Parts: sequence; structure tokens; C-alpha cells
Amino acid sequence: MRDGIGDTLIALAVMFVPLSLLSFGGSNAVLADIAQQTIGVHHWTSERQFADLFALSRAAPGPGSMLAALIGWKVAGIAGALVATLAFYLPGALLIYGAAQVWDRWRGSLWHTAIERGLAPVAAGLFLSGGIAVLRASPAGWPEWLAAAVTTAALLRWPRLHPVPLLLGGAALFGLLAAA
Amino acid sequence: MVLRRHWVDDQSFLAMMGLSQVFPGANGVKLTVLIGLRLHGPAGAAVALFGLLSGPFMIVLAIGTLYAGIGQHSIVHAMLDGVAAAVIGLTLATGLRSLARSKPGPLGLAIAVATVAGVGVLRWPMLPVVATLVPVSIGLALAKARRP
Repeated sequence: MRDGIGDTLIALAVMFVPLSLLSFGGSNAVLADIAQQTIGVHHWTSERQFADLFALSRAAPGPGSMLAALIGWKVAGIAGALVATLAFYLPGALLIYGAAQVWDRWRGSLWHTAIERGLAPVAAGLFLSGGIAVLRASPAGWPEWLAAAVTTAALLRWPRLHPVPLLLGGAALFGLLAAA
Repeated sequence: MVLRRHWVDDQSFLAMMGLSQVFPGANGVKLTVLIGLRLHGPAGAAVALFGLLSGPFMIVLAIGTLYAGIGQHSIVHAMLDGVAAAVIGLTLATGLRSLARSKPGPLGLAIAVATVAGVGVLRWPMLPVVATLVPVSIGLALAKARRP
């Protein structure tokens, strides 16, 4: 850590607050930017550490991901985890809170439809970008790309596949390959 | 919550889903705030949000601490890579499926491709890319909706 703890906490907040307000479609939408800023801009983690924290955050229960908490914890301990979590979840929560008050007047209007339809392709593009960003950061190289591609294809073919066996299967497969 | 506790009916649950799809933020968080708000006003929203986040927050810290202890082993890295690959597959499949479900048309598809090119491939910062593409995309959708 180059700066004092106060500076780091501010940097965490400055990074996560805007991302909170950009996560159209869910927190996965800003995955690409989280990876980019954590690794490339702030040098808070190596690619190896980011890949680990990403996997850990998804293996744990929680809304979307507690990746923000883990990154905050890595750079500034408990205080960092708290700041990052609040910065990442609170702005979106306040926005929806405000929106709920005025929404009924709006519902079903032309604008509502247009916004919903207009956001959909951007949100989908952001999800795909997030997947690509984490793949690029992954130190495992082509086996990671291959495994991700197979998982994607399997999920598109069988949408009801439960995620947990997939996660465990991935861990077992890569673990065995490394041990062999 | 709809089925078991009857806290909200189907119709309002769908309205909440619609509302949270339009606004940014983690999906679970948005629904939690809306349902908390519906049940018990601002205090309900705050309590629900705290309840949603505090448990996973503790768990994730415990996991992080555990990782700090055993994270040096190469086999742990390998297993986490396997988990990550599956999660990335989930993310990509969600993106592709939601794109297909929104029936984007050629222009919407172009917007999605531009997003992936800018953010995913060229690694441009997300804010300017989204700030450019979202108005364009909504404008296109509006023009389409206005046509009879």
C-alpha cells in the first residue's frame, strides 16, 4: 500500500460509487471495469490474486457478488471491506428507493418501454465484457477459456443446470489437472 | 416471498422486477430495498438491506481470511481457476441469453457488439462507453416505439 489508509479508503469509494450506478442488469455488468481498475490502475492485486478473489466471491453466497468486499478487505482490512461494500451497494439502493417514489406515474409510458429496451443490449454487452475481462486476467490461460466456453455452451443448451455442481466440477477438474 | 410469505402479490412483484431492471445496481439489493419499502417504509428498506448484506459480508471475510492462510498452494489456485471458469461461463451464458430474450434486432445487436468491443476487447473505461451507448440505444428504441 503506497498511500495512507485514509487515501486508500477514499480511492475505494471513488472507484466503487460510480460503478454502482453503472451496473445495468446487475453487478456483473461492471466486472470488466472492476478488473481493469483493481489490477491495472490501482495495482491493488496481481492478476493471480484478482482471479482468486473473483472465484472466492462467487463461491460464497450473497447478492451478485461480494467481490467489492474482498477487494476492499485485501487493500485496507475490515475498514476497506466496509467502505467498498457500502460504496458499491448503497448508491444503487438509494437510487431505486428514490425511483420507487415516482415510478407509478411513469409505468407503461413510451419512455419506460424505450429505456427498458434500450438498456437491454448494453447490459448484455457489459455482461459479456465482464466475462472476457476476467478471462484475460486469468493466469490459467487457454484451459480457462476452454472450460468457460464449454460451461457457456452447456448452460445455453441446458438452461436449468444448477450452478453449484458446475462450480464444484470446475474446482475438481482444475485441481486434479494441477495435481497430476 | 411471493409464494411462501404472501408479502407481495404477483403483480407487484413483477412491477418491482420491471423497476429494478431499468435501474443500475445489484439485482438482489434492488429487490430487497423495494420489498422492504413496500412492507415497512424507509426503515423496512434499511433493515432488509442490512439483513441481506451483513451475512454474506461476514462469510466473505471469513473466506478471505482462510484464503490468506492457504492461498499460497498452487493447487488452491488451480481449484479457484476451475471455479472462476464455471462462473465466467455462467456470466457469459446470462449475457447471451438476456440478449436473445430481448429480441434486439440488428441495431440492438450492433449496440451490444459495440459495448463488447469497447469495454471487453479494447478495455476502454466503462463510464464514457456506457454514457455514449445508453442514450443512443434508448434513442433508437424510442424511435422504434414511436413508429406505428
